[in-house]
Amino acid sequence: MELLVSILALGSTYALLAAGIVIIYKASRVVNFAHGELAIVGAYVFHSAAFLTGASLTGQSLLITIAISAAASALFGVIIYAALMRRLLGRPAIVAAMVTIGVALILKAAIVVIWESRSVGIALGRQPVITFESGGRVTWIDVATVVVCIAFFAALALFFQYTRLGRQFRGTAENPLLAAQRKVNINRILAVAWGMAVFSATLAGVLFGSRSILSPQSPIIGLSGLTAAMVGGLDSLRGAVFGGLLVAAATYITARLISPALSEAVPFLILLAVMCWRPWGLFGTVEELNRV
Amino acid sequence: MLSNSPYLRTSYAETNRVFPEPYQRVLVGIIVISLICLPFVGGNYLLHLMNLALLAVIGAVGINLLTGFCGQVSLGHASFLAIGAFTTAILAQRFQMPFFVAIPASCCTGALVGFVVGLPALRFRGIYLAITTLAMHYAIIYVLTAYQSNVGPSATAGITVPAPAIAGFTLEGERAWFYVLLVAATTVVVFGINLSRTYIGRAWVAIRDRDIAAEASGINVTQYKLLAFMISAVLAALAGSLAAYFTSVVTVEEYTLELAIIYLAMIIVGGMGSIAGSILGAFFMTLLPFGIERIFEMLPWRLGTTAFGIQQAAIGIVIIGFLLFEPDGLIEMYRRVATYFERWPFRYRELQSIGGR
Repeated sequence: MELLVSILALGSTYALLAAGIVIIYKASRVVNFAHGELAIVGAYVFHSAAFLTGASLTGQSLLITIAISAAASALFGVIIYAALMRRLLGRPAIVAAMVTIGVALILKAAIVVIWESRSVGIALGRQPVITFESGGRVTWIDVATVVVCIAFFAALALFFQYTRLGRQFRGTAENPLLAAQRKVNINRILAVAWGMAVFSATLAGVLFGSRSILSPQSPIIGLSGLTAAMVGGLDSLRGAVFGGLLVAAATYITARLISPALSEAVPFLILLAVMCWRPWGLFGTVEELNRV
Repeated sequence: MLSNSPYLRTSYAETNRVFPEPYQRVLVGIIVISLICLPFVGGNYLLHLMNLALLAVIGAVGINLLTGFCGQVSLGHASFLAIGAFTTAILAQRFQMPFFVAIPASCCTGALVGFVVGLPALRFRGIYLAITTLAMHYAIIYVLTAYQSNVGPSATAGITVPAPAIAGFTLEGERAWFYVLLVAATTVVVFGINLSRTYIGRAWVAIRDRDIAAEASGINVTQYKLLAFMISAVLAALAGSLAAYFTSVVTVEEYTLELAIIYLAMIIVGGMGSIAGSILGAFFMTLLPFGIERIFEMLPWRLGTTAFGIQQAAIGIVIIGFLLFEPDGLIEMYRRVATYFERWPFRYRELQSIGGR
């Protein structure tokens, strides 16, 4: 039971990360290698914002902190698009991917320079909801992680299905040229995609930071997110949820049954297996392989 | 016979020249002579930097043959270096193998690993290939970490490599190393330039530009892609192996993903698909952190860990800056200036030739 909750909570975090990668990939065929860094820097920003608003993280100050980091992350995503990615439209997707690697290096350096490589934890919902007789427990943040993840994916589904922007978004993902000819503002769509992706990354980072500790080594979770996205298929949001849960389950079970050292290697072993067996992922489209 | 017009070529010998202009031969001569004289002028610190840069040149030529010429982006180059370094370390430390056995053995292991890492390239291109090589990198590093902590002499300190000795002469000190590395790097550069001018290099360029068209014109894409991975891995393993002897200690922690990114940055900065570009890029990326450090030393206050962070950020900024504003790298800047003077008073240059300078 406790294991199941842990898997669900970690899987939700990975699914959120994968969702961000998938959103950017679908919109612009760019694989974002900076996603883990974006998540962790977002979490550091959340931590600092919480410190500024009173460090207690209850009631009003929590709401203000959430509002600040949500706005800051979405804005940061739009800025990345406007300042960098926009200039790379029409260049090979691999060039844009390399630029995101550059962004990743800068963000990693920001953790060193701004937060002086401190290891911090976000004190949020550490109280247990249920304590088992064996000593294991389920905390509020575990529950919150799963709920936030479900809410986020539900909101995404509604957004893509029913809003005008969401429909334009799907159109752009399918065929940017046709969408542009139908008067869809591609730049706006891509900026929104980056905003949403960085927002979801921050969400994942904050939830990750509340359940464990943030350090300069944490951005490695970006690789788990990328693996989750690849398992499900880079162009499938449904796949992101499934991939996230699968990667989390595999990691946890290896750590429990075999060895913790091996569990660190699990995400990229899965990645290799997926690349050998079904490189387009479980829910992805096969033609995607030739589009990047 | 040299024609007076830069546009008119009257013989095959002229088109096949590596350095078509006389001033280029003078320039290269000056560079070579000044490099040979450098140890008599420069101090140990400068020589140490030059040695690091020369090691980087070997690796950078390797990754440029793969990524710049054949168009296969590899994020796994650090693992090739690590394979070379570890093979050398294991052979030299555990089996007391001499210098001239360990280095070819490392190159062979490199070729084998390059072959395996190259296999996915037959199926993927672009980002999918980059992700696969990324996963390969972590898998290889995981194996090496397991070796270092379980089998190696010490889990944290890494493996010490004895100084190489040939016939009673021990290779020690920056100056001796400088000449060895200069010869090695020059050999690799000449090898790279010649390879890029032969049918192998042209086949790679064809695959990079359009693999289907290359296949249609009779190039065995499978074979040439694997060959590119293997040659690239051999050169990286050679660099790793020499680096193992040079630093005399091998730890798996050195070979991070960041190192692979730095190697990729070298060819982005220097110029994709240009051997001279790899040399420029290797020197630029090796000297960049030391240059920044030198600037910080001039500041009146001490920065501590911040300085390290800024060095990291500088790599990212350089990658982004070059990709956005000068995608063809430093070599393209040189070419613009050179073309201006070579062709003056005309403004146009000849049709782009493959490889060469």
